[in-house]
Amino acid sequence: MKRQLGALGLAIAALGTMVVTTANASGGDEKVTLTVGLMQDLDSPNPTAGYLVSAYELWNLQYATLTDKAADDFATEPGLAEKWEASNDGLTYTYTLREGLKWSDGEPLTADDVAWTINTSRDQEWINHSATTANLDAKVIDERTVEITSAVPDPKLPTMDVYILPQHIWEEQAAGDITTYAADDGVGSGAFTLQQWNPGQDWTMVANPNFWRGAPKFDQIVFRVFTEGSAMVAALRAGEIDFVHDVPSEQFEGLTTEEGIETVIGQQGGFSELAMNGMAGGIGDGHPALLDIDVRHAIAKAIDRQALVDRVLLGQGEVNPILGVSPDSVWFPEIPEADQLNYDPAGAAKLLDDAGYLDTDGDGTREMPDGSQPLKFRYAQLSDSDTAGPNQELITGWLKEIGIDTEVSTYDQTQLTDVIASGEYDLFAWGWTPFVDPDPMLSYFTCAQVTTDAESPGYNDANWCSEEYDALYEQQNQELDRAKRVELVHEMLTLFHNESTYVVLYHDADTQAYRTDRFTGWVRQPKDVGPVLFSNTSPSYWNLTPVDGGGDDGGTSTGLIIAIVAGAVVVLGAIVFFAARSRRQQDDKE
Amino acid sequence: MRRRFVIGKILGALSTLVFVVVFNFFLFRVVNDDPINSMFRGRNLTPEQLDRLRVKFNLDGTKWEQFVAYVRQLLHGDLGYSLKSSRPVSTVIAEAIWPTILLVGTSTLLAMLGIALGYRAGWRRGSTFDATATSVSMLTYSMPEYWIGMVALGVFAAGLGWFPVGGLNDPGSTLTGLERILDQLHHMILPATVLAVAYIGEYMIVARSAMIDTSREDYLQLARAKGLREADVRKRHAQPNALLPVVSLSAINFGFVLSGAIAVESIFSWPGIGQQTQFAIAGPDFPMLQGLFLLISAAVILANLAADLLYGYLDPRVAGR
Repeated sequence: MKRQLGALGLAIAALGTMVVTTANASGGDEKVTLTVGLMQDLDSPNPTAGYLVSAYELWNLQYATLTDKAADDFATEPGLAEKWEASNDGLTYTYTLREGLKWSDGEPLTADDVAWTINTSRDQEWINHSATTANLDAKVIDERTVEITSAVPDPKLPTMDVYILPQHIWEEQAAGDITTYAADDGVGSGAFTLQQWNPGQDWTMVANPNFWRGAPKFDQIVFRVFTEGSAMVAALRAGEIDFVHDVPSEQFEGLTTEEGIETVIGQQGGFSELAMNGMAGGIGDGHPALLDIDVRHAIAKAIDRQALVDRVLLGQGEVNPILGVSPDSVWFPEIPEADQLNYDPAGAAKLLDDAGYLDTDGDGTREMPDGSQPLKFRYAQLSDSDTAGPNQELITGWLKEIGIDTEVSTYDQTQLTDVIASGEYDLFAWGWTPFVDPDPMLSYFTCAQVTTDAESPGYNDANWCSEEYDALYEQQNQELDRAKRVELVHEMLTLFHNESTYVVLYHDADTQAYRTDRFTGWVRQPKDVGPVLFSNTSPSYWNLTPVDGGGDDGGTSTGLIIAIVAGAVVVLGAIVFFAARSRRQQDDKE
Repeated sequence: MRRRFVIGKILGALSTLVFVVVFNFFLFRVVNDDPINSMFRGRNLTPEQLDRLRVKFNLDGTKWEQFVAYVRQLLHGDLGYSLKSSRPVSTVIAEAIWPTILLVGTSTLLAMLGIALGYRAGWRRGSTFDATATSVSMLTYSMPEYWIGMVALGVFAAGLGWFPVGGLNDPGSTLTGLERILDQLHHMILPATVLAVAYIGEYMIVARSAMIDTSREDYLQLARAKGLREADVRKRHAQPNALLPVVSLSAINFGFVLSGAIAVESIFSWPGIGQQTQFAIAGPDFPMLQGLFLLISAAVILANLAADLLYGYLDPRVAGR
């Protein structure tokens, strides 16, 4: 035993020495790196398979699009295409590509790549492409010209924001099941392309010298995955990382006052709602009182949305009663003062009184006007959400005050999806995040998306159907005049607000923070209110410039640190060694 | 050792494993049978696209059909594809297993120093050494790993900056060979120490009480009466007999090495089995969970089998009965 212990001591001491040696040797990394910390690993670098936010950020970096979106307001701008022209009927657009476009591997990027991506994604229904390309047909005119024709009037054109993939890499993959391709080729046309992914740990993207805006001003981006939010914030403070996405809300306040760290509350239209069962699908067993608009308005008025933002989001969000259909607030209508359903418990109680919902048996809960059943609603919430529980406690408390009782159940996302699909709920709380164009989110609340068979649910989880809304939807869906389309969308959202099947609790925010001593040129998208990274097209990346002298994170202190570590290891080794020796002496004595 | 004993133990382990395979499959599907709708909520997909995703992940057809397909895959060594990453489960596990063995294996070995401490404390019951070692062990044993980890991270990584705040390597580093290994060691010191501190108390306490029980035995008196030195009495007569509880504890803990350490791997962003388990639960990613549970159960079952057989060898009375 004693010999082993002695050997262990020596081994530990030797190890300490080696750690010192490496640490000194590893200082030679000259690359200027932006290190981004986040709480989510990549799901897949393959844009026909992945669906997480982390993957979208990768594709936004790696694949340029035909048209780009302005940092300030998402306006359509030239991208890979330098210009375009519409036909008289507005169905066909002819795009001209920039001169001399190249993929990161040096191959030319031509109209063939564009047409191939659009047509193949349409035929194979790629999950992140097909919503845009389903009705499109692309034709190569010459190497730099591609003609895109839509089968139906499409107000989204000329915006073409699908990721154009390199045909010379992907053609072979598309012959089989394209979704199983690992997509580790790292060939792209964006500012940075994937170099390496270490699942569960990090992925590295390197600057693309062939990017159409010119090579980025630093060498690489490392995305580092954390599983613990406070460890991620600690790494930012220690200078190990330069940027944090999704700062845990309880840590955010502390960072706002910290020297050398800038915090961002970025709005992107994402919101949380309390939904009521509209029962339009004819299945399930929603509470009949919820079909009465007075009850829905009473519920909306019972909720103090400002208190939710202040107390649950700790101020990191915004009170906004409008369905978040886009990160661009141009689509949000003003609701006239008289129609706003602001916090007013007395008004809510009066609405219920006047409509005949009275507490006839004195148990504190109102009954239906015919006395048949109490106003007791099932309230479904998500288990995997930090805000669901606090929101629910406040909301059910407020409902109690106006004589509405609740019974809370907690589900994970899959279970809640099933509960909603079966129509067996009264109220549930969840949220959505929109695309830039409002069409997808608007489409979810059309009658066509109402679930009539629990086995194949539609997106309309409000279970609400309105012919008026559907008619407006069809109009905006084909309206090529943007100003008119904005007006139509305003009309739809006002209608949706007034119907109150959804009470939009608040628009939530991405909480981010970055070090100011490393890079300058952070861009918020949209202007003033959006996040700086993980926004729709994340223009920050190609705009960032390293701060002079900030290239290395504290190389001077590394040596010192290592010396201390080595010291500690040597001391530990010595302790083990002496313990072994003293034990030998004792053994001898015995 | 009788052959019947050995065969019996092996058959027992095999049938447990079969039970785990069946249980594993249905356990996750009872709670959640079709995650596709919620996974792709708000992605603007058509019902046909969702159906195709169901086929891809073997979520179409009846439960029984899915089960048969699962078992057939399993017999071919195919654990299916992760719902989240579309990557083969076996690849994900293969990547995560080495960091876990490195971290949890090292700390389990370090924690076995507790055996030496426990023997010594038990042999000199009531001494100052015993009092100190016992109370320190009780203290570390009762502290949650998560808490020790957070404190260690706050003080030694974020505060003093002696160690990186987590990960297996410096991300984006281009180190290779020995330098890469040493970089990993630098990253591993903190989490491995935290785990070792958390585990050591258990070994110490078990070893101490085993030694105390043994030290009362008459045969030790006999050994002393024969004139043996105290050190020989301890080494030749006491320690081997105090080994049994320690062996079973060690075997079981080695089985759990493969299950990783969810709390510590999570705090230190260590890309091991524990972290993958956490990601998979958050999904929920059935194929990943099934693969991970199968691996963890198989490891524990094998470790138990090893402990049983070793027991039979160390104490022939067990095997002979």
